[in-house]
Formats: sequence, structure tokens, C-alpha cells
Amino acid sequence: MSSYRVAGKGRVDTGKPVDFTFDGKTYQGGVGDTVASALLAHGEHLMGRSFKYHRPRGAVAAGSEEPNALIGTRRGPGRFEPNTRATMQEIWPGLETQSQNKFPSLKFDVGAVNDAAYMMFSAGFYYKTFMWPRSFWDKVYEPFIRQAAGLGVSPTEEDPDHYASRYLHCDVLIVGTGPAGLAAAKVAAQDGLKVVIVDEHSEAGGTLLSEPQAKIDGTPAWDWLSATLAELKATGVKVMTRTTAIGYYHQNFVGLCERVTDHLSALPDDTPRERMWRVRAKRVILAQGALEKPLVFHGNDRPGVMLAGSAQTYLNRFGVLVGKSPAVITSHDSAWFAAFDLADSGAKVQVIADTRAEVDADLIAGAKSRGIPVKLSHTVTATSGRLRVKSVRLNPVDGGSVGAGSNVTCDALLMSGGWTPSLHLFSHTKGSLTWDTDLTTFLPNETPEDCIIAGASRGLWGIEAALKDGVTAGEQTLDALDRAASGTHSYAVENDRAGTGVTHKELLTDKSPGKAKAFVDYQNDVTAKDLRLAVREGMRSIEHVKRYTTNGMATDQGKMSNINGLNIAADALGKPQPKVGLTTFRPPYTPTTFGAFAGYHRGEHFEVTRKTQIDGWARENGAVFEPVGQWSRAWYFPKPGEDMETAVRRECVTTRNSVGIFDASTLGKIEVKGPDAVEFMNRMYTNPWTKLGIGRCRYGLLLGDDGFIRDDGVIGRFGQDLFHVTTTTGGAARVLNMMEDYLQTEWPDLNVWLTSTTENWSTIALNGPNAARLLAPLVEGIDINDEDFQHMSCAEVTVAGMPARLFRLSFTGEIGFEINVPAPMGRQLWEALWAAGQAYDITAYGTETMHVLRAEKGYIIVGQDTDGTVTPQDCGMGWAIGKAKPDFVGKRGLMRPDLVAKGRKHLVGLLTEDDSKLEEGAQIVFDPNQPKPMTMVGHVTSSYQSDAVGQPIALALVAGGHDKMGETVYIPMPDRTIKAKITSTVFLDPENTRLKIAKES
Amino acid sequence: MLLIHCPYCKETLPESEFTYAGQAHIVRPEMPSEQTDAQWEEFLFLRANPKGPHYERWRHFHGCGRFFNAVRDTVSDKFLTTYPANTPKPDLESLIGDAE
Amino acid sequence: MLHPVSQHQPGVLVASVAAQVSLCAPVARLSLRAKGDVTPLTGAFGVSLPSGIGTCAETDRLSAVRLGPDEWLMKAEVDDLPAILSAGERLYDTLPHSLVDVSGREVTLELSGPKVLDLLTLGMARDPEMIPVGDARRLNFDGVTVLLWRKAEDRFEMDIWHSFAPHILSLLKTGVAELAAEV
Ligand SMILES: [Zn+2]
Repeated sequence: MSSYRVAGKGRVDTGKPVDFTFDGKTYQGGVGDTVASALLAHGEHLMGRSFKYHRPRGAVAAGSEEPNALIGTRRGPGRFEPNTRATMQEIWPGLETQSQNKFPSLKFDVGAVNDAAYMMFSAGFYYKTFMWPRSFWDKVYEPFIRQAAGLGVSPTEEDPDHYASRYLHCDVLIVGTGPAGLAAAKVAAQDGLKVVIVDEHSEAGGTLLSEPQAKIDGTPAWDWLSATLAELKATGVKVMTRTTAIGYYHQNFVGLCERVTDHLSALPDDTPRERMWRVRAKRVILAQGALEKPLVFHGNDRPGVMLAGSAQTYLNRFGVLVGKSPAVITSHDSAWFAAFDLADSGAKVQVIADTRAEVDADLIAGAKSRGIPVKLSHTVTATSGRLRVKSVRLNPVDGGSVGAGSNVTCDALLMSGGWTPSLHLFSHTKGSLTWDTDLTTFLPNETPEDCIIAGASRGLWGIEAALKDGVTAGEQTLDALDRAASGTHSYAVENDRAGTGVTHKELLTDKSPGKAKAFVDYQNDVTAKDLRLAVREGMRSIEHVKRYTTNGMATDQGKMSNINGLNIAADALGKPQPKVGLTTFRPPYTPTTFGAFAGYHRGEHFEVTRKTQIDGWARENGAVFEPVGQWSRAWYFPKPGEDMETAVRRECVTTRNSVGIFDASTLGKIEVKGPDAVEFMNRMYTNPWTKLGIGRCRYGLLLGDDGFIRDDGVIGRFGQDLFHVTTTTGGAARVLNMMEDYLQTEWPDLNVWLTSTTENWSTIALNGPNAARLLAPLVEGIDINDEDFQHMSCAEVTVAGMPARLFRLSFTGEIGFEINVPAPMGRQLWEALWAAGQAYDITAYGTETMHVLRAEKGYIIVGQDTDGTVTPQDCGMGWAIGKAKPDFVGKRGLMRPDLVAKGRKHLVGLLTEDDSKLEEGAQIVFDPNQPKPMTMVGHVTSSYQSDAVGQPIALALVAGGHDKMGETVYIPMPDRTIKAKITSTVFLDPENTRLKIAKES
Repeated sequence: MLLIHCPYCKETLPESEFTYAGQAHIVRPEMPSEQTDAQWEEFLFLRANPKGPHYERWRHFHGCGRFFNAVRDTVSDKFLTTYPANTPKPDLESLIGDAE
Repeated sequence: MLHPVSQHQPGVLVASVAAQVSLCAPVARLSLRAKGDVTPLTGAFGVSLPSGIGTCAETDRLSAVRLGPDEWLMKAEVDDLPAILSAGERLYDTLPHSLVDVSGREVTLELSGPKVLDLLTLGMARDPEMIPVGDARRLNFDGVTVLLWRKAEDRFEMDIWHSFAPHILSLLKTGVAELAAEV
């Protein structure tokens, strides 16, 4: 047995040894140990270096509030996590851990020179030190800060674990399994009520785990605990351990992070490392207990200086003496009990020093009976010991003046500055707090949530008080749920340790206050001196003091430092604490992994990826994909050896020379049906629809009421009351939402309905001079020629044996068709067309070629050539506006003064003088010789190589562009300035001769 | 995540089923072309930004698909009420009374 | 994973002791929109259209759910589709409505097993237990709008638009295995 382990104490099973390593050295603990308790069992207090000064640090606490003992944990490749609390990480065989912020070793660290340069690093040092000279920033300051800043090191490999998330609905959620939480759960556990109780620790019990001496209704605390847990589970209460309530959000929505496998040596299959529970509870009971405050004195951060309550926990829960000859300094009764427990387990307690002049006679008697020297009205002014405390200097205080000190040798120093209710989750609810002068702390007041806070978290000390308050909370909760409590619950507790105490700012010292390193925030290395300096330098609000000093801004969110910091700042300001105020606690309660937040949404499942029915064929045929909105679309289809440019040029040329096939299934489709369909279309789109014949289709332009282009697409009329609307791929959901909005809220009188049919159809486009020749033999129901099925027609036909809605339209300038078949038939149709197309050397093409072909014809892509500030006139599409219509969405908007003003940016074509391809997004100027910054008059929206045109083409928005045809503009690039000529947007076949189907001879 | 009562489905449901749709009770004029520039500007651009109860629109996007109106307190983020589109503004005084 | 889900054979896609996910055979699907008194449509389709949003009505060849104030969805035998469409057509002049064949739009997955309620909590913020047996709800499942029918205490059907089905199925597969590991 390791030398600090006490036989017969604690809940660790030392009969089941567990080997793990810390900084490469193997240590043995038992099942139930944390890394901290196992190291302490070997007498190892030194567990890390501090963040700023690299001072040696040990565990100061035993729970998740631990600021110092942060370690890296490793479980093979990819499974490294920094900044884990050694006090929370359970050991398992093979666990590798390492200390942080040290170089080259934990025991000898060169960064500790920062400690010697203490004066330089005082409050606001970032703001002051690195201000000047400016040139030092890149080379000196920033590298230095980057080296010094940040806790631990980031993992470098991809995390191989899986993370999970679930929603959980319950009637009652109880946070904390201490006496208050358990008593509340016992009351709330009723048939038909779903009760969940959670605790961040590996086992339930809270304070009870550290106080086995208590007897509840005559039963020893641990027996009562196991009986209670068994009873709760038997009544269906969900008891969750290793589960941290990280945040409390609106309407009783609480986030729980469950650590599922971090304590296991072998990872089970299909099991997540962590699971985020998103809980919606009808009622919440917060029973998070209280956190012990450190005392603030010079040398209070030396390894071996520890909270007295934590020392008690290490002894009673883990069976570990944190020292064999500890000293105690306290301002609260609770540390006396800790001292007694250690003494009773064989420790030679050197002294109990109390800052108070008077303490309860029973405590004095208890010390006396154990032979422990007592010093009342004492302060501590120093500690010694390089890597672990060796002695403490205690000085008498008389009337505010500090007398001569004497050193007391010790191997640990237990301290207690009293207790602070844990109000973190309560604060997340925007709960209000009241300052309690007697307890020198904030207590919970009112919360807007359906929540009750119970036990020590509202300032009630002792197990009996917590149990009774838990009962009350349970009863009130049942009452709120319109349930009656069954039976009465009352508790009597023997050996309870409800104590009292006083609260201090930093302790009185005989040192010059400027030299004292009395730490308030261990994790961010903030001292009492820093806080006072901040106030002297003009910080008045606690929020400013916090940011200037970084007090409470570390990953522990000031769990141990906030109240001490407030007391000192308030003293420095000469104001009462509530006038200075408390900083806001925000979620998460403890640091939470990105994995837990991401849950299932990583890798392939990172976000919704929509795929068409043709996706499989495209994959099998080597397509490269690009994301378009949520869709994954085939971008181009390279043949072996082809790069993107070669592939796209081949696809373009083949389509223009023969025929290309394109998967247009992602286009949004809306079935507009009802007696008022045409009226609705007239009101929504700029174009007139009344005279569009059945079996004809038309390009439709959709504006917002501000007059700007929102969407476009071809719309076919399949009946008097039936339109088949297509939208852009990215706009589908937005357009349907907009249409529903107008229909439901502005025109509810219209008898017309919208049905999304995007996914009902697979849509395959055929384009090219051979498109009709390819398609015609496959079509039943109509003849494919210019007489029977002219350009901009639509019909319900059969294609390759499949029912289809066939459109004749063109987004390429070639003879074009879009064939819609019921979606699951999409691949069958594609393959039929592909087979038939072999005779014409058909090419499959992707979105890039589609973009090139349409740009050659000057067809816009909404969202690429328009950006939400472009009108139809700006795009030269005034022809699409039904001027005779009394109204349509955007009609009034188009008359706005700014939209009819001169000098608006117009969409034009650009041809470069040197035949270079412009960069999309490149800015345009009229005068390349003007002084910088130049006046930018527009930008390139689309730019492609074009074999059909014979030179690269571009579309651009240029101020007054329509009036500048043939003029030259300039595109300044980093290495040169490119000259380009403004042209029409139509680069190819302006007469549309290529749309005609030649008569077959 | 808020809970929102859909006045059509008559169920109180998680916010993730809903989308926000701007301020409520802004009626598109019967004949926009007759609007002055100032009137049209008012309709198109000018919106309230109250600290406290706000009349606003939501859509039960993933559910019944209906747009509806709500009164939400922008300070507490609490919904005071929700009600169908095209129904009059509820009386604020009585709503605040109910909430307290 | 094979795309699209509709190309799988109907039957079990993934199963464990906790839950199983199966692909249902194709059916005819119709979106019905109408205002006012819809009683005449009841006669036409042979099912009395349910009145509460989320409630369902069923005959041996057809099931209908009310999705919104003016919206119903019907699932029917594939062979019955033409008859239903023409029954609607006959009523159109007297009771204008929109009846759209959306049979090609989605797939249906059947989710069942002892842990099926837990499986649903992977993706939906709503409490699945609050959906009464026999009802259906359109809702958000892992960011996707789906229609969830509760067929029995431990059996649901989820209608998913084709393009979203692989995403949903991948989550369900993870969940089926994860829940089994907990048993
Ligand atoms: Zn609804």
C-alpha cells in the first residue's frame, strides 16, 4: 500500500490495483481513485505549473472546481486531451497522463523566470507591456504570448471517438446527488413521474461521500446513501453519474454532458465517448452544494496548500492522507473537523490556526483531546518549500496589527475561508441574487425558470439542513406539478457538522503588500495585489476589474476566486460588495469538449447532405462533386488524365457540337394549383401569366417587394389552374417560404395551393444540336419538332416508357429539354438516355460546364451575378416585367428613387484585351492611374474559358455599364492591371438560331 | 431552446421546428403603386425594436407550415401569447397581467 | 452507403436487440389541400378526412393524416392512385382543391423495437412519447422535415424526402448500434 493510503478508510478498492503513468512514471492506485487521489496517495502533490508564472502547483481541491491540477490524458493515437482535471479523471489500467505548462520538466521549469519577473506581469500587463514599440509585435510580443499563453497543448490528430446526443424529457430534473438532491428525489419519486438526478462525480452522494461519520435517522451516512440510491432506482428514477449539468437555458432546457468511457480501460463497441443530453424538464431542482473558498495569503499556492474540505474528501472518500504532519489555517469551523478526521487517521496535526478570536468550545476541546496545538487570532504570512510546502509562518493579530511570526513545520497546509453557494446554473437562468452580509456571500433570490434551489447552494450548511431543504424542494416541486407528496419526510442527523465562520479579503500580512504573492485566481495567476492595482488604475465595475486582471476568466470560471476577488475589489473601492456586483456565470459550468457539442455531426454526418437519384451513377463515372446549398452536385466528369479545365472544355465542346446530359434534379419545383393559380402567379412573378397557353412555358423572374431579384426559373402551364414552377437549386425552400408567406398572410382569399415537388421528380436535361434527335425516338405522346413542340413548350408524355413532364427550354443556347420523371425512376431514365446517346458521342456534364454554357449566352445565375441589390433592369431584363399588371411583388419597389437613379451598376459582358481569364470577384476601375485608394465601380461576377467564343468571357456589374458598351475598364491585380472591353452579356448566337430543330430529311 | 405554442397545432413545441418571420401586423398595402415613397419606405424598411413585448411572426416551418403571430418579451425572451395570422393584436395590458 | 435509399429492396436495413429500421414498400402518396367544408372529399376518397392536426384516419387501402389547417396527406395502394386522382378531379369544380401525386417524393422507414422511443430522441427535440398511437406529426428530425406516424407503442413510420434519406438513415444506424451497446 502506498505510504499515504490509510487502511480501512475511503471507498477506493485498493484490492483492485490500477497502474497508470504520470509524466512517464508508473503509479499504482485502486478502482475508485482519481489521478489526483492516486498521486496524493504516493505523497505527490506537485501536479502542474501555473499558466503565467509557471509556479509549481498541486491539487488544491478534490472536485471539478480544481484550478491547478490540470493534466493531459492520453489513450493511444488521436486520443489526447489537454486540461483535464486530475481531481476528476478516474484512473484505469494503462492511462497515460502528463503535467502541463512545464519545460523541460515539471520539477525544473525555465518558464518559471516569469515568476521572478512578477512585477512585469501584474494586472493589465498585456495592455501595457506589449503596446510599444509597434514593430515588436510580430517578432517579439506575439510569439512570446503565444508561447506563454494557453493551457496545455492542443491535440494534433483527428479525434477517433464518436460522440452522441439525445433529447430527454422529464418531469423533474435534479442537479446534484448530495443530501439535498437525494432528499428531493425521494419526495419527487412517484409513480408516473419521470425523475432524473445527475451528478458530475463518478459516484452519487456529494458531501455524504466525505462525511461517513454522519448518521441519518440512526443509519450511517454511506448505508443510508446506498439504500436511498437503490430505492430511487427501484422507483424508476434515472440516476446519472459522471454527468455534468453544463448549462441552464430557457424554459428548463438543461444541457448535460455525460462522460461515458473516459474511466474505462477497454472501449466498448458502438459506445460514444461522451453524450450530450438536451433535457427539457417540467421542473428543475438545483442542489449543487457549496464550494470552499481558499484564504488569500502569500504563498497560498504552494503544492501541499489545500482546501481543508478537500483534504477531508481525500481522506474519507479516497482513503488518502494529504499530509502526515499537516497544519491548518482557517476562518471557518469546517476546517477543524477536517483536522480532527486527519488526526484520527494518524496524521500529526501540527497546529490549527484560526483567524477568529473565539471559536466554539467543543472545537477547542476536540483539538485538545487530540493533542493539536491551537492558535486563535492568527494570520498566515508565508509558506516555504520549493516543490511542496515545508513550513508555514503564523503571526498573531492584535487589533489589526500583525505580530512577530513563528514557523511551523508541516507537509501540508489545510485552509478554509468559508463556503460559497454554487450559483452557476442558477445564474444561467438569469436568476437574481441577494447579498447576505452574515455569510458574506451572494444567495439565490428569484429565477424566471420553473426551478427551485435547495441545500448548501442557498447557504444552508450541514447535512440535516440540506436534507430538510431537499424535502421542501421536493414537496414544492410536486405541488407545482399538481401532485401531492406521499407520506412525510423528516430527517434527524447525528454528527452533523454545520459550522460557522467569517470571510476575509486577503489575510493581514507583515510583508509589504506589493511583494506579497497572495493568489486569488490560481488558474490565471491573479493576486490580491493585481486586483488592488486594477482599482487604483481606474477600474470601477467588477466586470472591468475581471477583464483587466483576468480574475475568474480561466477555464474554472472563478469557481474559487470570484467571491475572494469581489471582497478585495470592494475593499479597494471602499464600497459594499453588492454595489460592486458579481460577474456573470455563463455556460458551460465546466470545460466541455467540442466533440460533445458536435455530437453526431462530424465526418460524413457533419451536416445534411442531399443527394439526387443520379448521384450513384455520377460517382461510378468518376464525377467530382461540389456542394450547392445542401446538395452535393456533380461538378465535372473528368476522363482519366483530365484536369478540371480539360474536362470542362471537353464537356462544353461536346455539348455544343453534339449533345450533353445534365442532372438538374436539384432545381426547386413547386406545383401551383387552384382556381386562382394564374392570379397568384401574376402577383408573385414579374411576368404576365394570363395569356400563357396550356402546354407552354416561360422564364419567370421573382423579386422581393424591395424590387431586387430573388429567384428565377422556367414555369410551365399544365392546365388552366396548374403551373409547374421551377426555382433555383439554392432558392427552392426560400421561394416556397416566400410564396406561402404572401399566400397565407397577404392573400388568404386566393384559392390556390402550393406543393413542393422538388423531390417528386428527377430532372434530366439534354442539350445540344443532337438533343432532339436523341430524344425523339424515346418519346411517346408528342412529336419532337418545331411545329408540334416548339421552343418553350411543355407536355405530359412518356419517355423511355416512363411517365414524364417534358419541357423544351434551353439554359445553354442549344436545343434543350428537361425531362421530369418520378424521382425513383431518375437513374433508369438517365441510363436510357445515356445508352441512346452513345450514337451521338454524348457527354455527361456537371455544374461547371452548365455555368460556362449559360454564361456564353448571358443567362444570369441568381446569387452569383446578382447579390440581392440587383434589379431586372440592372441585368438588362426589363423585358421580363409585365408592365401592364396592376401589381406584382416588387413592382412598387422598382419605382423607388434609388432604383431608378442614374449610375446604377449594370450587368455587362467583359472581354479582356490580352485574352486572360479574369478572376471572379475582381474589382473594376475606370481610371487605372488614379491615386489609391481607387474608386471601384464594380466587380467581375462570372468568368470562364470559352472555346465557343474563342476567348475567355466574363460577366460583371459595372456602374452605368449599359451606357458604356465598347468602352474600356481596368481590373487592377496584384501583379498587373488588366484591360477589358465592355460588351453585351450575350457572347454567342444572339439571334438564337441554334434553338431551331432542323427538319429531318 | 424556447418552447413555442403553435396556435394551429395547439401544441407547445421546441423552437427548432419554427422559423422567425419578422415583425407582425405590417400589412402590405392593397395597391402598392399608389403609395408615396415615404409610405413605401415605412412599409418596407421601418421596424420596431422594443425592449419588452414585441409583436412578431413565426412560422411552424417543420410542422403545419403556418405563419402565425406572437407577442414575445425581448427582455425575458418569454412568449406572452401566440395567435393565428390575420387576427387582431391582443391586448397587451391583459397579457402582461396574465404573465405576472 | 448505397444511394439512394429508394433503390434498396423493401425490408430490414439495420437491426439490433434495441431497435430496427426497415424500408417500406412503395405506396401512392397524395398531398391534398382544400379549404372550408371538405365533407364531399370524404365520399370521393372513401375515408373521412381527419379533423385535428396530427390525427389520422384509415381504411384498409388508405390512410390519411391532417398536416395543417388546409392540408392532408394520403397514402394508398399504388393501384388505387388513378381512381383517387380522378375522384378528386370530378369534385374540383364544386370543391376547388389541390390534389398532387407526390408518390415519387419520399421513402418510408419503419422504426421499431423495444428502444425505438430512445432511438427517436437522437434526432428530435419533441418528446416522441407525446405522439399518441394512431397519430402522426410532421416535425424536425436532425434538421430534416419528416412525417412521423406512430403505428403502435413501439412502432413508427417515418416519411423522408429522398435526398434526405441517406442522412437520416446514417443517424438511425448509429443509434441502433449505440442503443444495443447499452442493453
Ligand atoms: Zn403548427
